[in-house]
Amino acid sequence: MSERDVTRPRESGRQIPPVAISETSTLVNQTGSWKYIMPRYQDGVAPCNAGCPVGIDIEGYMYLIGRGRLQDAADLLVRENPMPAVTGRVCHHPCEDSCNRASMDEAVAIHSVERRLGDMILAAPPPPAPERTRTETVAVIGSGPAGLSCACFLARFGYGVTVFEAAPEAGGMLRLGIPEYRLPRAILDRQIERIEAEGIEIRISTCIGTDVPWAVLNGFGAVFVAPGAHMGKDSRIEGAEGLPEIRPGLDFLKEVNAGGRPDLGDHVIVVGGGNTAMDCARSALRLGADATVLYRRTPREMPAIPQEARETKEEGVEFEFLATPTAVELEDGEFVGITCQRMELGPPDDSGRRRPVPIEGDVFSMKADTVLTAIGEDCDLSFLPDEVRTNWGLVEVEALGESTSAPVFAGGDAVDMPRSVADALGAGKRAAIGIDHFLRQKAGEDVGEVPLDDLRFAGGNVSAMRYAKDEDPIPREAPVNDVVTWDQMNPHHYRSAPRHEDHFHAGIDLRSAFGETNFGLSRKEAIEEAERCLNCGVCNRCELCLIFCPDMAISRREDGGFEIDMRYCKGCGLCAAECPRGAIVMTREGI
Amino acid sequence: MKKVMIGNHAVSWGVLRSRVEVISAYPITPQTQIVEALSDMVADGSLPARYIKVESEHSAMAACIGASVTGTRTFTATSSQGLALMHEMLHWAAGGRHPVVMANVNRAMAPGWNIWTDQNDSLSQRDTGWIQLYCETNQEVFDTTIQAFKLAETVDLPVMLLLDAFFLSHTSEPVDVTDQADVDRFLSRREAAYKMDTKDPHAFGALVRPDVYTEIRWQQQEAMDEARDVFRRVEDDWEAITGRRYGAVEAYRTEDADLLLVTSGTITSTARHVVDERRAGGDKVGLIKVKMFRPFPTDELRALLGGVDRVAVLDRNISPGHGGIFAEEIRSALYDVPPEDRPILFGYVLGLGGRDVTPVVIDDIIENTRTKARPEREDLWVGVEL
Repeated sequence: MSERDVTRPRESGRQIPPVAISETSTLVNQTGSWKYIMPRYQDGVAPCNAGCPVGIDIEGYMYLIGRGRLQDAADLLVRENPMPAVTGRVCHHPCEDSCNRASMDEAVAIHSVERRLGDMILAAPPPPAPERTRTETVAVIGSGPAGLSCACFLARFGYGVTVFEAAPEAGGMLRLGIPEYRLPRAILDRQIERIEAEGIEIRISTCIGTDVPWAVLNGFGAVFVAPGAHMGKDSRIEGAEGLPEIRPGLDFLKEVNAGGRPDLGDHVIVVGGGNTAMDCARSALRLGADATVLYRRTPREMPAIPQEARETKEEGVEFEFLATPTAVELEDGEFVGITCQRMELGPPDDSGRRRPVPIEGDVFSMKADTVLTAIGEDCDLSFLPDEVRTNWGLVEVEALGESTSAPVFAGGDAVDMPRSVADALGAGKRAAIGIDHFLRQKAGEDVGEVPLDDLRFAGGNVSAMRYAKDEDPIPREAPVNDVVTWDQMNPHHYRSAPRHEDHFHAGIDLRSAFGETNFGLSRKEAIEEAERCLNCGVCNRCELCLIFCPDMAISRREDGGFEIDMRYCKGCGLCAAECPRGAIVMTREGI
Repeated sequence: MKKVMIGNHAVSWGVLRSRVEVISAYPITPQTQIVEALSDMVADGSLPARYIKVESEHSAMAACIGASVTGTRTFTATSSQGLALMHEMLHWAAGGRHPVVMANVNRAMAPGWNIWTDQNDSLSQRDTGWIQLYCETNQEVFDTTIQAFKLAETVDLPVMLLLDAFFLSHTSEPVDVTDQADVDRFLSRREAAYKMDTKDPHAFGALVRPDVYTEIRWQQQEAMDEARDVFRRVEDDWEAITGRRYGAVEAYRTEDADLLLVTSGTITSTARHVVDERRAGGDKVGLIKVKMFRPFPTDELRALLGGVDRVAVLDRNISPGHGGIFAEEIRSALYDVPPEDRPILFGYVLGLGGRDVTPVVIDDIIENTRTKARPEREDLWVGVEL
């Protein structure tokens, strides 16, 4: 065979594999040297946490439920909210309004999950009372949500706390103002018992300024004032004075909520568009009357929680919008109804809502046996010493409840507009932090300033756990205190799932039925609902970064988190782009 | 166990019996039932495989390649436009020596839009380096699916098994489904010579310079050559267990024949019927079925066709500007047959886009082949009406 036989394969001794495979390990190619930006795990704050007036790590307890750690979730919840069984039922849940999931399908039913955890907590025996580590004691005026919240957190901070309550039972507006069908008394009683078990003394039927003088508080290191707003505003209906048929709605609610069953006649008109008005109308229905809500603006401007308004309507309450009562109508000296002025919406007022203005000459009559006025409540602050400055019927306070006169702090409906259970709980927590800080400073401790911004959930309310530097049960990667918005997340990895709606009674005759109407979610449904949580901004170990990294530069750490081998991360940003939760950011830092 | 099933499900059952580990596919008519059945099998746990949903056939093949490089047994199925979309990845699978098995249901290419059968989709992929096996019956589909894995994994080349749209894919026939234990004796777990190891990472499909590229292609060609012998041994093994074999090329009633039909796919069954009838009438006509198109069974065809007077190749495909593709390949193979043994070859183009090829059509073709002195052109189009 010729040496020049070019078609004969020759043995050259070269070792050529059948496939194009690199001779050397690719480990020598440290692709990390290519990068000009690099990823960093960075947990942010979910918008629900920032939107909660109480300051609850909602995303945190959802995370724990998602891992089957229900008890840990309940513990985390109650660390920031002493009465979840109550708020799970009556809170207007602004957390859900800020839920990122609404941009995808529907917001997580946070209140339903909270309620379920709250009931779970109530079913278990209370934990031992926190240790008394401080010598000082604190007085709290009012056992509503603000007072009990402040008392509870102060007890956890190690203080002795005495709560003064004017009424014969604790609970404040939760008991007096909120009807049983929304908040069963058994739930409220157990919730308060549980808070008392944290080592709080509640002195009932003890009204400061009436039963005992303000001076009785002198022995306490600090005073938290949370008396609530109990005086119905004057209805200004001409001729109403002295007529028993026209009465403040709040008084009516207090009577009913204390077990009274007044006879309202057949036709009841409720004046106002807030939650008190809704509660009045629904309670009137349960006493056998027909109820009509008379509101001077339109449904759009109603201050009532939309869900409450919807339930009110569903129960059969009529609504008369753009009308206001002007005078009583009498026949033979007997009350028969009211004269109403038709209104229209004019330019917006200070609150941004369009102001109702009368339509000249458009007047009509409405028959009624009883008129309940629910156009707002005022506070009775007459018991306060002069040094505690008030303004337009509200106590003037700083961020942590400090009044103009130390050591008096204040919160709840006596300071807050708008008024809600959640805002009251949040104010109580802030004041507890303010009082602890004040008393420590007074005791000569070097406590510096309260890092208020750091304690807040991204501008929301403060975290008691952050203040007390409690251990976070959720591992956080380089947390920052910024809200993670929907546009920072990657929606493509989420599957649409419908929201679980609370179960409502069906077919029960409402007349004389004051039982709870909303049955919430089953345990299974609540867990499924919690699993709808997207864990915005927080790494929940979904492992997509690990799967998507084209350089296999991401690996699991022993503690369950991830680490990035920067020798091979070439800064492509796929992990950050794919992260469903926006928990990875690309940065130039460290390059 | 005998079951009545459509051709598509014969593929699915073959895949199930082959204990495939990764399936990635994108649906396309008339293939979809293959992967639908497989996804059910994966979902109910009867096939413990990973089913990867993807957004295109290109991605489906990419996913199969990615899975294959880790040493797993992988499968996909497609048809027509889907196969065309895979084109780049077909080269990657073959050049990277990934023994992926794919079922392609032969469907005409658009436009004009058409879901019925012809072979232009798979024959367009002739030079991508895939082994191609054309099937005639549902039983053959089932058997070939299982054989394909053994063949592919022995020579480290991807295998495309082909079945005609609707005539097989959607037509029910009894299929003897070989017991799992018997298939396990025939086909063991894949053992890959080169596979990705995260502890000793190497680049696959990386840059190859001109001084080595030819050598890698040469080895690919050697593997194709080897595949002819390996397929024979695979069929031996399968026959030992099941008693069934098909051959890369099958000779049907070729004894003393002076005219041979050459077919592939389901036209073969129709041609068998015509041959039987003609033989009954004393006509010495026979049939060659070509199952293996790549590697091309050149030697077998030379041996079978050499010395025969006339050959009629029935092509359900067309290479525009040339002719029927099987006919051209066979013409090329016969070039080295001594001139005196070289048959006169009639290349018929027919049945495109699913048009029926009936016994009458085939009978007319035989008549035409017998009566014409020579073909008027290399491509003889059957039944064109303008």
